[in-house]
Amino acid sequence: MDEKLPRSEVIETEIPLGPVHPAALEPYRVRLFVEDEIVQEAEITIGVNHRGVERIMEGLPVEKANALTEKICGICSNAHVWNSVRTAEMALDIEIPERASYIRIIMGELERLHSHFLYLAHGCETLAHETFSMRLFYLRETIMELLAMIGGNRVQYGCGIIGGVRPRCELDDAKIARIRTDLDAVETKLADFADRFTSDTIVMSRITGTGVLPQKQALKLAVTGPTLRATGVANDVRVDMPEYEPFDFNIITQEGGDVKANLLIRVLESFESIKIIRQALDNLPEGPIVDRTWEMVDSEPVHSYIEVPRGILYHSYGLEDGKVRSCVIRTPSMANIGAMQYAAIGNHVTDAQLCIVQCDPCFTCTDRAIEIIRRD
Amino acid sequence: MNIVLNPVIINSVIAVIITVLICLVVSTFLPGIERKYVHARIQQRIGPPVTSPGIFAPIKFMFKENIEPNSPVSGLYKALPIVCFLVVLCLIIISTPQLFAIPALASIVAIVGLLKVEEVCYVLMGALSKSIMSLPMPFPDTIKGAVHRDSERSFIEDLSAKRSLRMIAYGSFPLYLALFVPVTQARSIFLPTIVSYQFTHGPVLFTASGIVGAIVFFIGYMIMLNEYPFSIIKAKSDVIEGPYMEYASKYRAVVYITRGFLMFTLAALFLVLYCGIPLFGLGIIFAIIAALVFVLFMGIFSAFTPVFTNKQLYPVIVGLSLLGVLAIVLGLL
Amino acid sequence: MGIKSFSRARAIHVMLVYTGGCNGCDIEIVNTILSPRFDAEQYKVFLTWNPREADVLVVTGPVTALNKEPLMKIYEAIPEPKLVVAAGSCALMGGVYKNIHGDIPSEEICGPVDQVIPVAAKVPGCAVRPQDVLAGVVSLLPTLLGAD
Repeated sequence: MDEKLPRSEVIETEIPLGPVHPAALEPYRVRLFVEDEIVQEAEITIGVNHRGVERIMEGLPVEKANALTEKICGICSNAHVWNSVRTAEMALDIEIPERASYIRIIMGELERLHSHFLYLAHGCETLAHETFSMRLFYLRETIMELLAMIGGNRVQYGCGIIGGVRPRCELDDAKIARIRTDLDAVETKLADFADRFTSDTIVMSRITGTGVLPQKQALKLAVTGPTLRATGVANDVRVDMPEYEPFDFNIITQEGGDVKANLLIRVLESFESIKIIRQALDNLPEGPIVDRTWEMVDSEPVHSYIEVPRGILYHSYGLEDGKVRSCVIRTPSMANIGAMQYAAIGNHVTDAQLCIVQCDPCFTCTDRAIEIIRRD
Repeated sequence: MNIVLNPVIINSVIAVIITVLICLVVSTFLPGIERKYVHARIQQRIGPPVTSPGIFAPIKFMFKENIEPNSPVSGLYKALPIVCFLVVLCLIIISTPQLFAIPALASIVAIVGLLKVEEVCYVLMGALSKSIMSLPMPFPDTIKGAVHRDSERSFIEDLSAKRSLRMIAYGSFPLYLALFVPVTQARSIFLPTIVSYQFTHGPVLFTASGIVGAIVFFIGYMIMLNEYPFSIIKAKSDVIEGPYMEYASKYRAVVYITRGFLMFTLAALFLVLYCGIPLFGLGIIFAIIAALVFVLFMGIFSAFTPVFTNKQLYPVIVGLSLLGVLAIVLGLL
Repeated sequence: MGIKSFSRARAIHVMLVYTGGCNGCDIEIVNTILSPRFDAEQYKVFLTWNPREADVLVVTGPVTALNKEPLMKIYEAIPEPKLVVAAGSCALMGGVYKNIHGDIPSEEICGPVDQVIPVAAKVPGCAVRPQDVLAGVVSLLPTLLGAD
């Protein structure tokens, strides 16, 4: 594969897009440097979402801080809570009940499903393919209702607490039966969609070879998550996580790193997620779902990595008098910004937003510790 | 003096006005029909009421505040949608049999010329629109640390103007080729001759060249209307609405009405050229049926395709142009 | 009901502006408009991304510093009559982010939305439910219909 390089000497003009733009589900500014409608360089400016969550977390009681991490991002809200309580549990040396761990995984995988469906729908919307987008949003609605049934809210379910999961997230037989039937329906429909999508030659010709991110470049930019796996690197933190040990699943990889590989990897990963949820429901252990016998102690900063829909999520903080100290959060989109800027090079301007969307941006996650650039 | 009072001319003028009014009313339903009965049906939802997109949205815009558009020549910019509307009006008047008496208007050359005016309007609109949504957005872009701080900066509408210019150069070529297919059979560029030729020899549509020509005409119709997948000049993923960005209130209403009217007019032209049915009397009903069929197929086609970039547009248009040439050659044989 | 209010009741163009919330409200509102499940178009609510076309501006998020001026510019670009719906607790009162420095005025958050632009309807919820967004937009109808 030819290396794409930013060619600044041929830049003819600059086209700024955003922060309010139809192809962006969140505010960000992108400056496209084009020559004859071909993007030669792209610059993404974030900081539009900066709210200083880490700054607010500093000094909060750890239970409150956990609830706050949920508000970092509306798409991967459960992932942030999960990783935050996981960090606290590592700091306090708490062993959570097995049932709680299973329920967390069910929530995490359901969240991966809804995030991937959102990604696919948004990708189709950016392609201006309204029909596919609507069908995917319809599929996603089923998952959203499952999440609302378990957690009590459609977006922020507040599932994890230190020592287990919240009692309202307990799964009884009726809930399990509903999850099973809904997942069956989703799986059939998703398989139909995947068939329909891959056999659509017009869409395929549009997305094959668009927004290519070569493997070498992906490794150089330290890209994570499905965006990295779409270039052929089998890298998934889930295999190293003790929570995922009882489950049998495959790491999906695709070749090419273009929009097609990125869209397909999300479809295939959704099937794997459904598989994991089924296994978790089948082997759901009996017992309590929360362990409240822990004691608050001070601890040095500890860190925890988990795999969220977009890649590796890193949380780290220490505890002092039950309060959070030295909090650092690193989200996967932070690493993927380089990939977005790189993937857009050499593509038509109409595809530029698609190339950014293919790396699954979540700038609300990412904008926290970055200093806002102020005008003089 | 006696020309004005000639009852034949007065009757003709009244007939044309009534025809145009009927067509205008019918055409306002077309965007709604496309949205509700085609797109929404395919997308498995209820969709908007059929009257909303075509009729009540323009009426609503009529009652909005008339904002001065951000444009270097706002007077010209505001005049352009009215020019477009007049062009479409002329086209529909040309398709009525009463106008066949004026040879300068009732010819293919006039139709091509008027459609070209429509396309030139898009270029001017794109070049004159300076919307808030890209460059003027207050955002610290060229600050310390940014790349290429001294580069030339442009509006998204400039992109759209460049694209419209290309569409003039090659995009609408298939439609013009398809317009000339009946000419090759009737051996005349004048509509009365084309219509009377089809009265004696049967419609052009049912010949080999006519069928190929009709396909080319249909795709050309979609390109002319900037419908998905040929909507690159107003692609939502970069230029948002392209040339129409700055229109508000009455001018936006005219833009909305013109679109529905153009949908109807091109279908009526197709009927005149390919079936030999001029837009009068029973012909209006045929024209309505043709417009509905066109809108139905266009809706189905656009619901299942993503927007084309140049990579897909070039092959499609080259292929269509070749088909159009084939149709003309078949007609000449 | 005159033709003015009659036509306004049959075509409402909604524009969305995200001003740096947590994405939850944004996705739920996109879901409202795009998902066939809720399908805002059946209530004659159309999505637009052009301020010149819009009637109703739906704002989410606590209005971060970089978003304040774009939001004001977009609001100014909308022709009268225009109304603003603030959706989500961040847009209503700054949410969890507002008290970032305690009592010291925040530099990052310029919100809530009604300190930046006039707000006509407030939709509570964290995150807002799609049904509530639709109800909020539709609740503006009497004001919109009566406007000049």
